[in-house]
Amino acid sequence: MTGLGGTGRLADDLYLMAHDDRTGRPLLAPRAIGLGLAGALLAELVLAGHIEAEVGDIAIADRSAPQDALAGVVLGLLVSEPVQHTAREWLAFLARTATGDLASRLEQAGYLTRAPGRPWRAARWVPADPDCAFAPLARAQAALRPARPPAAQGVALGGLAVACGLGPRLLSCGPPQARGRLDELTRLLDPSLRELIAQTQAAVDSAVLAHRV
Amino acid sequence: MSRTHAAPSRKPGSVSRELARDRLGVPAVLFFVLAGVAPLTVTAGVIPTAYATTGLTGIPAAFVAIALILALFAVGDVAMTCHILNSGAFYAFVSQGLGRAAGVAAALVALLAYSCLQVGLYGAFGPTAAAEATAHIGVHAPWWAWALGAWAVITVLGLLRVDITGRVLGVLLTAEVTVIVAETIIGLVQPAGGQLSQATLSPSDLTSAGFGTFGVLAVIAVLGFVGLEQTPVLAEEARHRRRTIPVATYLALGVIAIVYAAAAWAMSAHSGDAHVVAAAAQQGPGLLFGLGGATWLAQTAQVLFMTSLFAAALAFHNCVWRYMFALGRENVLPPALGRTGGNNIPKAASLTQSATGLVVIVAFAASGQDPMARLFFWLGTTGGFGIMVLLAVTAVAVVAFSVATRAGRTPGAA
Repeated sequence: MTGLGGTGRLADDLYLMAHDDRTGRPLLAPRAIGLGLAGALLAELVLAGHIEAEVGDIAIADRSAPQDALAGVVLGLLVSEPVQHTAREWLAFLARTATGDLASRLEQAGYLTRAPGRPWRAARWVPADPDCAFAPLARAQAALRPARPPAAQGVALGGLAVACGLGPRLLSCGPPQARGRLDELTRLLDPSLRELIAQTQAAVDSAVLAHRV
Repeated sequence: MSRTHAAPSRKPGSVSRELARDRLGVPAVLFFVLAGVAPLTVTAGVIPTAYATTGLTGIPAAFVAIALILALFAVGDVAMTCHILNSGAFYAFVSQGLGRAAGVAAALVALLAYSCLQVGLYGAFGPTAAAEATAHIGVHAPWWAWALGAWAVITVLGLLRVDITGRVLGVLLTAEVTVIVAETIIGLVQPAGGQLSQATLSPSDLTSAGFGTFGVLAVIAVLGFVGLEQTPVLAEEARHRRRTIPVATYLALGVIAIVYAAAAWAMSAHSGDAHVVAAAAQQGPGLLFGLGGATWLAQTAQVLFMTSLFAAALAFHNCVWRYMFALGRENVLPPALGRTGGNNIPKAASLTQSATGLVVIVAFAASGQDPMARLFFWLGTTGGFGIMVLLAVTAVAVVAFSVATRAGRTPGAA
């Protein structure tokens, strides 16, 4: 069921990149991970053509139900909310539950198993196969090699990873000039994806500045 | 793979409610600001040292005067937060009103000012801890040993991105203010010569030694209020932007002004107007602690003084590296400062401020100068002066922003 190719979903890959591949321990502050994963969930909807992000707002392009259940829940929220919210507010709202939701989704896909809680530690999710858990990072690094043709999902993954703070992990152990290559490829991305990456970056930076991270 | 995911709080229309729950209310903003203001640090550290070093007695009047000026300033400052939601506070407001170049200059001045304030606090912590240790646990170590100890702890806490927040902070601050109020009341009830003199509260004391007197007093008073300008930093995280920030700002301003003016007045009334300068030179922070006599109150106050200094040093350390982070992001400072390492911690920025602190402490230790009157007071007042300049520039920027907005022009076009 599980494989080195992953589930093929952007947010799943980002989750695995943001947690240790052996222990499942988060590698970033919880709020930063939440914001990054929220951006990834919205990016999945952009890639599937359901929403567009422009100038700080989210616009619904296609209301049909997506294939994935979690994406369907997120789209349902976006559609049914009576008040218009900015992209930042959606990121903040989704960030509250994104980590838990994606852990459940990965558990159903067989990539994570639930380790029971101990008296001194809450229950958490541990990768079922460390190699499969490391694979998204390796794939993201490989996508930044100079000769490789760019793929929107891979570039968006890289951009969101850097936005929430995984820059050192992704870029320093990757191919040389990876940062420049990522910036170059991000410029070629769909405007909605670029907007989401920028909004996620701004949200994480603001959280750091406002002492909430 | 397509099993429905259970989502308890996913009712439509609940987004705003859920977001509000996460956000900060007036108490949280208030305590955040008061931590930077550090009431006991000012009343026991700055005020006696100011009396002794400047020889001026108009300090209580100065607090009242500056509070009124700041209240005016706060109107515009708080109004800006309704227009501009940006955690960069000064930088954002000045950029929007006067253009990016001015904004960058303002941010650099802010960085320098907060850095001075942060390092200066070691100069107060060192001798206080040394005196306490000598008196109570018989450990004899020079002031700089204790200062370096505090520096080391703050360096580690800064790298772990630890902030003293929440309940711990609330408890400490409430205790500090309570102690100050208690000492003040006791001091006022027992004035020198049995007569409660209001001379130090009168405006004439503001220019007692010529017009320049007010300048000196103003810097000292502004130093007391430093930290108040941080309320807009939390604007994005505040529950009701238009209400939480203004209420917290004015509440903090009012509380601080009354507490400081009353404490300074109590000190001068208790010692006698003619003797307070000499008494301050002799007793230092003891001028506040001794108001209530040598009791458990004085003892508690001394311990809280140390925690106040430490908490303020940590708060300013975190403030400085956040400014460096913001400026690194904007490429005003080297981009390395704007990068976060593991766990979203801007290590480079934190370590830079730590390095600055180390150099300054070592330099002052080597020069043998009095840490309280020099390291603490000089760097402290320099930082206070820097913040005063910033407040003035921000006030101009706020006016420029309002004028430009009203005229329909794009603000910030320099």
